[in-house]
Amino acid sequence: MFVMCVVFVFLIRGCYQGNYMVNGEALDAGTIVGAVSKMTFHFIAVVVMLIAALLSMRVFKRDRDEGMQSSILSKPITRRQYVVGKVLGLWVLSTFFMFILHAIIFLTVSVNLNVVMPGYLAASLLCSFNLLFVVVAVLLLSLLMPDIVAFLCVLGIGVISFVADGIFAISHSPMAQAMIQQPGSPSDWTGWRVVYYLWPKLSGTQHFASSFIGGSEGLHGFGSIYPLINILIYGLILGVLLFWRFRNEDII
Amino acid sequence: MIELNAVTKRYGSLAAVDNVSFSVKAGEYFALLGPNGAGKTTIVKMLLDFTQPTAGSLSVNGLPSKHAASRTAVGYLAENYHIPPYLSGWQYLQRCAELLDMSRSEATDQCRRIVELIGMQGREHTKANTYSKGMIQRFGLGAALIGNPKLLILDEPTSGLDPIGIREIRQLLESLKKQGMTIFLNSHLLSEVEKICDNAAIINCGRLLVKDTISALVKDGDTLEDVFVRFVKG
Repeated sequence: MFVMCVVFVFLIRGCYQGNYMVNGEALDAGTIVGAVSKMTFHFIAVVVMLIAALLSMRVFKRDRDEGMQSSILSKPITRRQYVVGKVLGLWVLSTFFMFILHAIIFLTVSVNLNVVMPGYLAASLLCSFNLLFVVVAVLLLSLLMPDIVAFLCVLGIGVISFVADGIFAISHSPMAQAMIQQPGSPSDWTGWRVVYYLWPKLSGTQHFASSFIGGSEGLHGFGSIYPLINILIYGLILGVLLFWRFRNEDII
Repeated sequence: MIELNAVTKRYGSLAAVDNVSFSVKAGEYFALLGPNGAGKTTIVKMLLDFTQPTAGSLSVNGLPSKHAASRTAVGYLAENYHIPPYLSGWQYLQRCAELLDMSRSEATDQCRRIVELIGMQGREHTKANTYSKGMIQRFGLGAALIGNPKLLILDEPTSGLDPIGIREIRQLLESLKKQGMTIFLNSHLLSEVEKICDNAAIINCGRLLVKDTISALVKDGDTLEDVFVRFVKG
């Protein structure tokens, strides 16, 4: 998947050099760069999240099957050190993948179009908190259920997060607002709103990170930073659960 | 060196280890004997903190077994040892040395010495998926010996070895004993245990049946096998 991602990133270079017409008017270079860069940014971030989940799902099982877990833990190494090593290793590796891919886009735009997007790489690093969430969640769930189910659960959390954000955005459009306010339409959305706000904000964090890329509407107070806080809190809770679960795990 | 104090391990209603107490002194060559499912491996796992006792306490090197520091200077060879198939025996030994924070040159020296000790010269750079079970067992023993441990915990170390291999491992263990190493051995090979161990304990259904010196257990005309069968069959 990483190779496919690299190929995609190199293919996308051509998109920056095309001429685009909307309603008979040619788009300016700045609009093209902003739109293509953001689209590529989101694509890379999502694919690397998938790669991170795939890398994480078999880590404990593989170590157990190959006898590495008992070999490592028979040395004066604590279980906490072992888990921290796994989490950091996977997180750093996947962040490095993502950063490299984003850096290719950044360099392509800087060198070919002489447009520097200083927030692009910072946005990439912000997205790494999503990767941390994915790694910790998959590792924890892989201790509780079969690896593939753990992967699918986290995939489901991600898909719901992206779909819910999409629905939320649509529901805030003027047309949707008008429909909601009509008599006879469901008015009590409180329950769904609570679920929406408490759900892991993978999509929201990605959008918050992408707001650092030039040409975006910018930040708007706590609301825009909330997804990042949400993901950090989830990461922390899942991390504690992961340590607790692994501490009580029998080593085979 | 090792102390078990009224240790019990339950899995639901089943007591895998039931109120077992014994100790192993430094420099002792100790064998833990018992039929399959007696609780031998569970005791080893509790010594290494791979699983926690339901009741009682264990200490290794004078420290509670749940402290990682208790595993300093402890070498462990698991039953059915595995080496990742993509690693060579040499790479595996190097990785084990890295876990003990050795410098690269120190690790290389140790690995070279250990490869000689386990008699695997010439095969150390081939991948583990080409090794026989006996060869993997030797590299496993080699990995346990990295860092010059004071205590070796061996779970069926001769499992999968041919008679010549068993003899070589026995000779190797005897030479380690002469160096003052404490060895805790789980084994089914009673004839080997009789030849090399000082003390033995027999457990069955999680209960300690007897612990004594081999000479006290094996009386004139008997073998350790006779003693073992007598105790286990009740």
